[in-house]
Amino acid sequence: MNADDPATTDAKTGATMDSTMAANKAELVEFARKGGALVTGVADAGAFAAAMAGQRPTDLLPEAKTVIVVGGAPPRAGDWQVPNYLHMETTSTSDRMFALANRIAQFVERRFGYYAVAVPSGVDRARQPFLSLALAAELAGCGTPSLAGPVLNPEHGFLYFAALLTSLPLPVDGPLAEPVCPAPECRTMWDEQGTTPCLAVCPIDAGGCLGGRLENGRVAERRYDVARCTTRAQNSFIPGFQKALEAVFDEPDKERRRMILWGSQFTRTLWSMSYSNVSQCQCFECMRVCPAGRARRELR
Amino acid sequence: MASVAAAIDPGEDALAEPRAAAIRKAALAAGADVVGIAPVHRWDEFVPEGCRPYDILPGAKSVIAVGVRGPTAGGWLSPEHRLMEVNGYDFANDRVVHVLADHIEREYRYRAIMAPGLPIAGHQPLFSMMLAAVLTGLGTRSLAANIILNPKYGLLYYSACITTLELPPDSMLEQDVCPHPMCVQVYKHGGKTPCMAACPKDEGGCLDGAIGDDGRIESSYYDRERCVSRAMNFGINSFQKALEQIANEDDPERRRTMIHSDFFGRSCEGIAFFKESVAQCFECMRVCPIGRAERKLK
Repeated sequence: MNADDPATTDAKTGATMDSTMAANKAELVEFARKGGALVTGVADAGAFAAAMAGQRPTDLLPEAKTVIVVGGAPPRAGDWQVPNYLHMETTSTSDRMFALANRIAQFVERRFGYYAVAVPSGVDRARQPFLSLALAAELAGCGTPSLAGPVLNPEHGFLYFAALLTSLPLPVDGPLAEPVCPAPECRTMWDEQGTTPCLAVCPIDAGGCLGGRLENGRVAERRYDVARCTTRAQNSFIPGFQKALEAVFDEPDKERRRMILWGSQFTRTLWSMSYSNVSQCQCFECMRVCPAGRARRELR
Repeated sequence: MASVAAAIDPGEDALAEPRAAAIRKAALAAGADVVGIAPVHRWDEFVPEGCRPYDILPGAKSVIAVGVRGPTAGGWLSPEHRLMEVNGYDFANDRVVHVLADHIEREYRYRAIMAPGLPIAGHQPLFSMMLAAVLTGLGTRSLAANIILNPKYGLLYYSACITTLELPPDSMLEQDVCPHPMCVQVYKHGGKTPCMAACPKDEGGCLDGAIGDDGRIESSYYDRERCVSRAMNFGINSFQKALEQIANEDDPERRRTMIHSDFFGRSCEGIAFFKESVAQCFECMRVCPIGRAERKLK
């Protein structure tokens, strides 16, 4: 950009567009950090070529120039140490990051005067996301896709991501040059045993959810049984409630129906759906064995 | 209550103004766009016994109402209406009121509560946030579903704090926010305002009304039941409706299909804590000129 070009120079301050954009981005990154983001990245709104029609940034906000992605709220180091796996079920959700994205969207509009809207964290028609947060995180340089599924950040490993679309032009981070997965330890394990920690903990050919293959140290093929994973990872959330409700209505015996309704499983599904957000996501096993971000989990 | 008032140190009077200023500052810092204060006796001529602020919190002296914008300007601009359905409301107004109640109890040692906004019987709330917004001078009733419009921002979400702290009150608005002069002109030419035209009662919609020669609302009609069935069709109401249908379905296979359907799944999400789809129709507000300037960004 040419600093002498009036079109790229702020008339009041004389600052170039480049420096203004960089300053705006620095302010946003700091705002996000204070709000709890461990990572913040910016993607070009026009870079979502891999997204389905209707799920591109400009489909949701025609004026969108950039997509701001924030990542954070992973299970804490202490959470990973708790021997009772039920603890993890009740403590990790993505809603903190979505709330932050909402706040950043309001901040962008009020501080900079540009349009902004947070991408809903839930799903739209036919269980499709409004916009793939995994793709957004990848394009914003917050991480890369993994054999296990989640986008992994090179420093923190597994994170929850949220995104907002904005007409505010910002310097774009772009995708990372090197994939985070497979980690060096996983490549070694593949060479020696033909599997990786995540594939070994949940093998698709032995009743698990994950499969895949490495070639020349890179992921060459990935298999993921999303339906099987959902039935295991979300069995106290809305899908669990629906399943329990079906059992209630199918049960002709009043006493047995009463037991189902007052049973531990049904009660947990209701806790999980209501404000107390107990048991949102219940299987972290592929992430538990993942070396990405493990250093962050090692405390005293 | 008289006994509480009598217990107040005379020096408290001098503190009223700075406390009110501090409360406004705290509310704005917590995310409020507007703040208004009213004495509790403003409610006397509008609500029945049992619903006055001092019935809810004995000894109450003041009500502080806050309003926050719901959807971002970007949300209004999105051609995907579902985005607004999901992002339209984030309970920011409730969070502000909790901040205020904490502030008053901790800093001034007066009682403060979040005013109860949900219905306790039928569709009647114990405490009307709409009335609170009007009586604290934050807005006036509109032709569009009686929504209380603020002169600067238009549609806002309101919450209120009831407190035993006596505070200097704000005046109620002297001028009606609705109808906007542009709407009066549109009404004179076509017999409908933009909001009525967007959802006309005579064509299956929810709104109707008349504007008098003085340019003020002469009458208004709002079909709340019809509006609820459209505006909240993935919230508690749709969940109840779907559950009734599921319970009434005798065929297990059909019942299974209904339980695992997209519609029921989204209804469940509508009542879940992450508040997917709690309000879904903003069409009367989309065409409203009040507050539109605040939605024009770069």
